[in-house]
Amino acid sequence: MNAPDRFELFVLPDGVKKLTITPDTKIPNAATFKIEKEDHTLANMLRMQLLEDPKVLFAGYKMPHPLDHYFILKVQTTPDTTPAHALGNAITELIQTVGAMKNKFEMDLIRARAFEEAKSNPVGDADDLSSHNVDMDF
Amino acid sequence: MDMFNAGGPEVSIRSLKKDSMKFVLSNCDLSVANALRRVMIAEVPTMAIDMVEIESNTTVLTDEFIAHRLGMIPLTSFDVDRIQYTRDCTCTLYCPNCSVELTLHVKVNVDIDEMNDATIDKTRHVTSIDLISSDESVKPVTDDKAHPILIVKMRPGQELKLKCIAKKGVAKEHAKWSPVYGVAFEYDPYNKLRHSHYWIEESVESEWFVSPNAQEETPPDPNEPFDYNAKPEKYYMELETSGCMKPEDVVLRAMTIMQDKLGGLQIKLDDEVTGEAQRWGY
Ligand SMILES: [Zn+2]
Repeated sequence: MNAPDRFELFVLPDGVKKLTITPDTKIPNAATFKIEKEDHTLANMLRMQLLEDPKVLFAGYKMPHPLDHYFILKVQTTPDTTPAHALGNAITELIQTVGAMKNKFEMDLIRARAFEEAKSNPVGDADDLSSHNVDMDF
Repeated sequence: MDMFNAGGPEVSIRSLKKDSMKFVLSNCDLSVANALRRVMIAEVPTMAIDMVEIESNTTVLTDEFIAHRLGMIPLTSFDVDRIQYTRDCTCTLYCPNCSVELTLHVKVNVDIDEMNDATIDKTRHVTSIDLISSDESVKPVTDDKAHPILIVKMRPGQELKLKCIAKKGVAKEHAKWSPVYGVAFEYDPYNKLRHSHYWIEESVESEWFVSPNAQEETPPDPNEPFDYNAKPEKYYMELETSGCMKPEDVVLRAMTIMQDKLGGLQIKLDDEVTGEAQRWGY
């Protein structure tokens, strides 16, 4: 069988760089990032976050071929910054966003677990329970 | 934080059950919500049977047919962090650090008296509860003892004896490692953003029902002009697990994986940038 191993989709082989930066030879303040063993999950998040940056003039990505497991990200910025710096800022912002999202989820989880527990282990008489649970904001 | 999502994302859990949950994610970009969905489906590691050594199989199903069915059986994976990936392990094929062994041995005896009695059902259902695990934390999901997962039906005189090796993996490699049976994800139930194009005879309103999530949003004003700057705000997420782990753990693990993915790239980018600076002698 000559089928490629499926782990080639996400395992970075020895000697291959996760990220390479190629400055654009024709466009000022532009570069192409090649990111290995990643897909739309990361690429689209980075692209959208880069586009929120007013110093980013262009940000776009593509996965050149479905059998190659990398994507390229093209970024052009204003002259007072660099594409690598803009990408660094975008990643920092995303880490903060996901971190905040995780904290919010964990916080609401405590409330949701308490609510589910109260529902499965009712305490007190029936009247008390109905008046207690029905109005609960869920 | 960008101008649209100032203040960061918000989460509100709407229901939390043993193997499913619903929550609303708001104040974040569509790409982040979609990344969360994609990571939950394909990148949260679980345990699944990956190798099967068949010692005896006189059932009506072929060895590879049974091996395939065994791979699909969800295994409890709440303790998956303890187990290593085989590719990161020091062993060559498998060892206790990177695998769990499960065995199955069923032999249906021939009883002459029973054989002649047509009223007795002689079919033996071999199911996931016949799989004996060597590890208490990794065993077939059996929340419903009355309806375990059927592997093969056997008749008197037949035997099935095998050894399974369960390994840690992600659904990017094979869907059997996915912790979720489904992740539903809806936004903009009134289609104000025109991201959906409904097939209609005459009108959308009379031919398409509105999702229950629309109760949480303001209905569109027909006189309002199209807002081409509008962005999706609320994402109604719903997930159902295979029972291998709690739904909230799937979400939390997915978020951690997203953080690791981004953090890893940040380090590589810093290395590249400082390396570049050194090459140019700054
Ligand atoms: Zn090992």
